[in-house]
Amino acid sequence: MATFLATYDFLLVSMVLAAVLALTLYLPLMAGQLSVASPGFYALGGYVAAILSTKVFHPAPGLYPVSLVLIEMAVAAVVSGILGIAVGLPALRLRGIFLALATIAFVQILGVVALNLDVTGGAIGIFGIPQPFGSQLQYMWLAIPLLLLSMLFVARLERTRTGRALIALREDELAAAAMGVDPTYHKVLAFTASAVLAGAVGAISAHFINTWNSRQGTFDTSVNLMAFVLVGGSRTFVGPVVGGLVLTALPEALRGVADVGGLPPWFAQFLRDGRLIIFGVLIALGTVFFPHGLITPGLLGRLGLGRRTGRV
Amino acid sequence: MLSVEALTCSFGGVMAVSRVSFSVQRGELFGLIGPNGAGKTTLFNLITGLSAPTAGRLRYQGRDITGLRPHRIAGLGIARTFQNVRLFGELSALQNVMIARHVRTTSGLVGGVIGLPSARAEERETRRRALALLELVGLADRPDERARNFAYGDQRRLEIARALALEPELLLLDEPAAGMNSGEKRSLGGLIRGIRTRLGLTILLIEHHVPLVMDLCDRIAVLNFGELIALGAPANVQRDAAVIEAYLGDEV
Repeated sequence: MATFLATYDFLLVSMVLAAVLALTLYLPLMAGQLSVASPGFYALGGYVAAILSTKVFHPAPGLYPVSLVLIEMAVAAVVSGILGIAVGLPALRLRGIFLALATIAFVQILGVVALNLDVTGGAIGIFGIPQPFGSQLQYMWLAIPLLLLSMLFVARLERTRTGRALIALREDELAAAAMGVDPTYHKVLAFTASAVLAGAVGAISAHFINTWNSRQGTFDTSVNLMAFVLVGGSRTFVGPVVGGLVLTALPEALRGVADVGGLPPWFAQFLRDGRLIIFGVLIALGTVFFPHGLITPGLLGRLGLGRRTGRV
Repeated sequence: MLSVEALTCSFGGVMAVSRVSFSVQRGELFGLIGPNGAGKTTLFNLITGLSAPTAGRLRYQGRDITGLRPHRIAGLGIARTFQNVRLFGELSALQNVMIARHVRTTSGLVGGVIGLPSARAEERETRRRALALLELVGLADRPDERARNFAYGDQRRLEIARALALEPELLLLDEPAAGMNSGEKRSLGGLIRGIRTRLGLTILLIEHHVPLVMDLCDRIAVLNFGELIALGAPANVQRDAAVIEAYLGDEV
């Protein structure tokens, strides 16, 4: 067990952080809005943490205080939230594929801005971000509570007045509005909650990865997150979480299979390097054969894990 | 209660509703009839803010509601059902009704998620009222069934329960009897009469089934090609020459 944890420390923490990021895509989707903006807020949160920890806080030598990381997470969350409202208000007038495209554009714009500003370190980015822990695995002390809290948040949300309003918008926006649900307010609310969470994940990731530049939180991340949600499941928060955990581990597992040997060299190479291709194929197959993802509320019900719909 | 003043709505040159004026009194059961394409549903969409009028005014309880967005109009106490049922199909019957309690409840995102005592109490109340409404329309035995699994007639009654959850003062029913058999139609008539007296509602009813309209309504307005051609008590409207012509054609 100890060797396993030590060998896969980086992967395990990445899996947990990916699961939280997958939830940031799920939140707007609860209100029926396909937004892939969260990698942008993730990148922003990372820069906030990187700048604060290397240029503002000037900690004493030795391990960086965890309390400062928590402060950075809070600042990143607030900054992302404010940008989320500012971007969400105009962007959420768009529907369906147009909203998806606008949020892809938003992610690209943030990347270009980060590449050209001095404060973000330009193309090199910000490196030598101080470490609050002696080992990578200890990042679990931040990542696991964040995942559990965000899961609890979404699970509770689905059973409240606000959550029901979001789900009503997803089911039928016109009928929801005729029942008194304000579409704009609730869409922006879900989008902003997603931005806040993505910013907080970015702040942890900046320390975890140790260096932060414009290659973090790009369109590639958007594709990954879409795969997590579309393959995992888009109708219950369990879907994105499982999708994030499993699909982050998948490339490692495939590499393991490739290393067993006996496979044709080209195929082994494909298993090692074809991650984005495999994700693309999974998204395509998933949306055709499992439009709501592999994990659905119905499946959870059959496993005895779900609650009866009426108890929501 | 509601006054419609020279309301006009045109879609690219087609006059869907043309200078229609009438007013509905508090407590009245007001029927709206007319051949297909006469503009009845468009009129409902105008009243509930789903479409914007080209000209004219809408007043509700003395207040100008012309051009307000749908959720604001719902918040003022105007609820509706849809001609082609628009339930939240994947959600349970109970959830459908609970959602429409939105404007009568206040818990916010944070209060709801952390479960403040006030939010919990409100949640229990929402649930209790939703169950009572399912009882009222006769669906209390299947609160957890998904809305799309209900028979058509039951879906229409569920939609009425959802509209009532808003605690409206004005209820707009768009062809509530469509697709119902004669037994269901009779019990629907009883239900509409019952909720009207029990809840003191004002009801605006679009319906094709003439016996039901004649039987239920205090007054009837007849639309044809977007224009109001008759208005009055059912018996008078039935004898109106313009109405007979609109329905049967002038060769007869």
